[in-house]
Amino acid sequence: MAQSNFYQEGHYPSPFQQTWKEFRKSHIALFGLWIFICFVLILLFAPLIAPYSASGQDTEALLLPPAWDPSGTVVYLFGTDSLGRDMLSRVIYGSRTTLGISLLMVVMAMLIGFSIGAFAGMSKGLRASILNHLLDSIMSLPTLLIAIIIVAIVGTGLTNCMWAITLALIPQFIHLTRDLVRTEWHKEYVTAARLDGASKTRILFDSILPNMTERLVVAGTMALSTAILDISALGFLNLGAQAPVAELGTLLSEGLELAYIAPWTIAIPGAAILLMLMSVNLVGDGIRSALRYRLQQ
Amino acid sequence: MIRNDKSGAYTPLFCLVIVLFSLAGCSEYRRTGVSESGVVYCSEGDPSTFNPQLDASGTTVDATSHQLYDRLLEINPKSNDLVPALATSWLVRDDGKTYVFQLRRDVQFHTTAYFTPQRSLNADDVIFSIDRWRLVGHPYHQVNGGEYPYFASLGLAQLIKEVRRINGYRIEIELNRPDSSFLANMATNFAVVQSAEYAEHLLAAGTPELIDTQPVGTGPYKFESFRKGSYIRYRRHEQYWGGDVAIDPLIYSITPRSSMRIAKLITGECDAIAYPAHSELQILEQRQNIVLDEKPGLNVGFWAFNTIKPPFDDARVRRALALAIDKDTLINAVYFGSAERAKGLLPPTSWAYQSSQRDISYNPVLARQLLDEAGIPKGFSMDVWAMPVERAYNPNARRMAELIQGYLQAIDINVNIVSFEWSTFRRKLQEGTHDSVLIGWSADSGDPDNFYRPLLSCSAIFSGTNRANWCNEEFDKLIDQALQYTDFEQRKLFYHMANNIISDDMPLVPIAHAFRYQAYQSQLQNFELNPYGGVSFVGVSKK
Amino acid sequence: MMTSYLLRRINLLLVTLFILTIASYALAYLFPGEALQNLSGQLNPNDTTYAALSEKYAMDAHPIFGFFTYLGHLLHGDWGTSINSGKPVLDEILSHLPATLELSTYALFMSLLIGIPVGFWAGIRFHRSVDYAVMTGSVVGFSIPVFWLALILIMLFSLNLGLLPMSGRISLLFDIPERSGFIVLDILLSDVPNKREALYNAFLHMILPTLSITIVTSAVVMRITRRSVADVIQSDYIKAAIARGLSRTQALWRHGVRNALLPIMPQIVMQFTVLLTNAMIVELIFSWPGIGNWLLQAIYQRDYPAISGGMLAVSAVVIFFTLTMDVLVRALNPLKRRDVHGTI
Repeated sequence: MAQSNFYQEGHYPSPFQQTWKEFRKSHIALFGLWIFICFVLILLFAPLIAPYSASGQDTEALLLPPAWDPSGTVVYLFGTDSLGRDMLSRVIYGSRTTLGISLLMVVMAMLIGFSIGAFAGMSKGLRASILNHLLDSIMSLPTLLIAIIIVAIVGTGLTNCMWAITLALIPQFIHLTRDLVRTEWHKEYVTAARLDGASKTRILFDSILPNMTERLVVAGTMALSTAILDISALGFLNLGAQAPVAELGTLLSEGLELAYIAPWTIAIPGAAILLMLMSVNLVGDGIRSALRYRLQQ
Repeated sequence: MIRNDKSGAYTPLFCLVIVLFSLAGCSEYRRTGVSESGVVYCSEGDPSTFNPQLDASGTTVDATSHQLYDRLLEINPKSNDLVPALATSWLVRDDGKTYVFQLRRDVQFHTTAYFTPQRSLNADDVIFSIDRWRLVGHPYHQVNGGEYPYFASLGLAQLIKEVRRINGYRIEIELNRPDSSFLANMATNFAVVQSAEYAEHLLAAGTPELIDTQPVGTGPYKFESFRKGSYIRYRRHEQYWGGDVAIDPLIYSITPRSSMRIAKLITGECDAIAYPAHSELQILEQRQNIVLDEKPGLNVGFWAFNTIKPPFDDARVRRALALAIDKDTLINAVYFGSAERAKGLLPPTSWAYQSSQRDISYNPVLARQLLDEAGIPKGFSMDVWAMPVERAYNPNARRMAELIQGYLQAIDINVNIVSFEWSTFRRKLQEGTHDSVLIGWSADSGDPDNFYRPLLSCSAIFSGTNRANWCNEEFDKLIDQALQYTDFEQRKLFYHMANNIISDDMPLVPIAHAFRYQAYQSQLQNFELNPYGGVSFVGVSKK
Repeated sequence: MMTSYLLRRINLLLVTLFILTIASYALAYLFPGEALQNLSGQLNPNDTTYAALSEKYAMDAHPIFGFFTYLGHLLHGDWGTSINSGKPVLDEILSHLPATLELSTYALFMSLLIGIPVGFWAGIRFHRSVDYAVMTGSVVGFSIPVFWLALILIMLFSLNLGLLPMSGRISLLFDIPERSGFIVLDILLSDVPNKREALYNAFLHMILPTLSITIVTSAVVMRITRRSVADVIQSDYIKAAIARGLSRTQALWRHGVRNALLPIMPQIVMQFTVLLTNAMIVELIFSWPGIGNWLLQAIYQRDYPAISGGMLAVSAVVIFFTLTMDVLVRALNPLKRRDVHGTI
């Protein structure tokens, strides 16, 4: 922050600035952020980055190893699969599908969870108690298990998986929002606003929401990491995205057939999932410890 | 201990693992203390029943036919001649319609936990086994479904007029008309002999359906247990008529994924595997302790069009689609070159093979032209059904469908790839809602009729093996006539005429005759690849 | 206080199980195909069987009555028949569940054995190089998709080095009769002549699946422990203890361990459910004959009675486990006894 200042009053960084400042201190979190930004760029500009289309077959170049292998070529940096499709392009499009869908699911789950949670946090009595108990039970089930069960009911496919995982992600946002709203509700600044005659919605959006954004973001990164893992696991189990669609988990399960002669068809998509999850987790960790640090002060 | 890298955190674990390995002395881990004569065969799927009469699928036959049962005759895999099995001798009467079989004496049925036979094999057992699928009124005909697909596809029930018992060890079968493929059919994997005594016993107990799930036969192995999706456990049949059985127990480990089977063969968890993936044969060849057998297969993989569904009822459309694909590339990408390009239904190893048969070559321009003539617009969409399982004739239908998708894109046809779980797939196929399907056929006997009749005759539409739903009277007449003659040269002429009809009308595009492979550990001795399908452990032993 | 709490928990358990059975009954109607077939698992029954089944499941009555009939059957152990295998669903579940529990137990045990000490160590050396190394390792471990890890381990240890088997619980050549469903116990109970070899063989089969799950779970346990220990170390009472003259080790040992570990018990317990899901995927890869493998096969085969039964069994196990652990944790941790309403 610039220290030279003509005015007397000091510069007070906003809470966000404080968190960001703290976040920046951690190199590893910053590193995660950079990787994540790369993935977001891939998400936005995949067609520009990918050298080939995800489904373009080159029947002259089947199962070509990656470029660093003596028998690989630079034309196909990550080699090709059994149909002569460029692995690099498939991984790029696969990352796009996986990340894009996961982000979409998290945003949806967050919106729905927030609305229900805010409602629950502001209401009392039997309804809240039933919701509490239900939530407790559901939250003890892992999202992937819930998603598998939902997929078993509605049938396999990418869209069904999206619904399933979104549904499975919602409870944790409800839980978080409800708890936060409930604790904030009794704080003085809210009481002050209530005495001023502000409506419930107004209090929620103007007073409470800004105070919980960061925690929502932390929960969001955790949910994102869960979503990525779940969607690729379902893809891997052949319950999610089906074959011609490039999705990282599906790529991995396609590679399984040729695991032994073409290990790169397994190694590369798996590494992409690992990298993506790692970047999300690092960013999440970074924000969390920055937030903790700020709150401790 | 932990200093710098990520694996550091797991050092204790790795230490533990390493200690364990050193305890093991890194020796071969799997053979410790297990009975030396046991064999694990990794098969590709569950048998749907333990009676191959009821199911024509290769999976069922591989698991049951040569383990539990015997037939009247066998086909010698080397010479293709018929050799004695349960029948020690046989003769054809002068009318060419009556066959007499002399049965072997002292053939013992299996003694199992659920049944102890009181007598050895006699004519009643053979008559029971044939009458069960032949006579609709037979008490066992309806048991477990009442469908006998192999016999139905060849019309054998209608061919046989009567089965007579002459004495305890001699039977006579009379046909309605001469049929030169009859003996070969009686030697196929499906013509197994079950125990009439066991059948009576079950009928009296009120549980006839157990005959096919707790089987009793005369074969070299007897049934012990079966866990679906996991394993079948067979024990040695001590009184096997064919001599001592060296293997005990024989275990089928059910491993649907071919990459898994290969991996398990490499790690030594399987002694032999079914259908090694064509893509991974090279790896197996490089391994010292693994034997890879190759034989030209009696099979054909093809792309069949549903000829009763417009626009595929138009021969021009079918021809156009056939012209649009490059078979050589398909063979490279799907079979990894381990298959022969198919011109017609018959593989080159068949005696009736016609090397001069017309083949179709890749020509997308002509294909588009034909489609225009037939009035198929650009952007027309069609379904290609791809089998979900690997078969000898097509190791990866899904991949083939994806390649075809690419080729048809080039002539502005959109392809949807359709696939279901295997039993659902076959059921839906039978309903005939498909546009086209990638499937194939493995022959059960060396007779050419075994290709023509089940695949393209009118009657095979109902028995569910004619996937093109193609019915051509002229073609049917030709293949019927061929059976009237016993002389190969004469029969050939009819088959060649039939070939011409297929080439003209193109109800299906023959793609490849795949080689058959069998991979096993070199300790296994005399494990022969049977060209007619069916896995046999008769005479196999282990060093 | 404790009794009322226990009652509450048991009540919650029962209510949850009740909701699950409602869900399972509703599934029969939600699944494609006929509800009766989805409940009973009888494919194409003939007219008499159909009438008998219809009577059995009270299909003509009001669905609520139908549900209670169904509940009655469930309680009597009649969970319908698996379409795929033709065997009773409950039998199938009971024969597959022990394998999963066995694998999960080993993995959980290993994860705690590795995760807690390493996490503790990192927590003590908070913000020093050891801590950074462990944290880096744990972020990687925690980000590895378990299915990929399992494949990599197979490729390394089974295919390339040829050291470990990659499928099943024991070589099929050993004929171990199934009694308890836990392979180690079954071997000990059996009268096979070569018990030691069988045990050794089973042990080798266990290593890779356990390792795959352990790596992922221990990373999480490590993170949780480290955080808690770090908090405790910075707390005033430890500082006070040190100021009073206790050595660092003494202070930690007397006051730190319990205070650091107790609050994280619920979080660690929560990991068990994640671990169970991971175990289900790992089972598929290693052909481990557990409930996850079985449930996934049921999904592939569209075996609806098996799916709903499997769902019921798995969720019941998970919920029962979390609630039991919750009660245990509370019994051990006085701080927790105050808030009566469950929070997780």
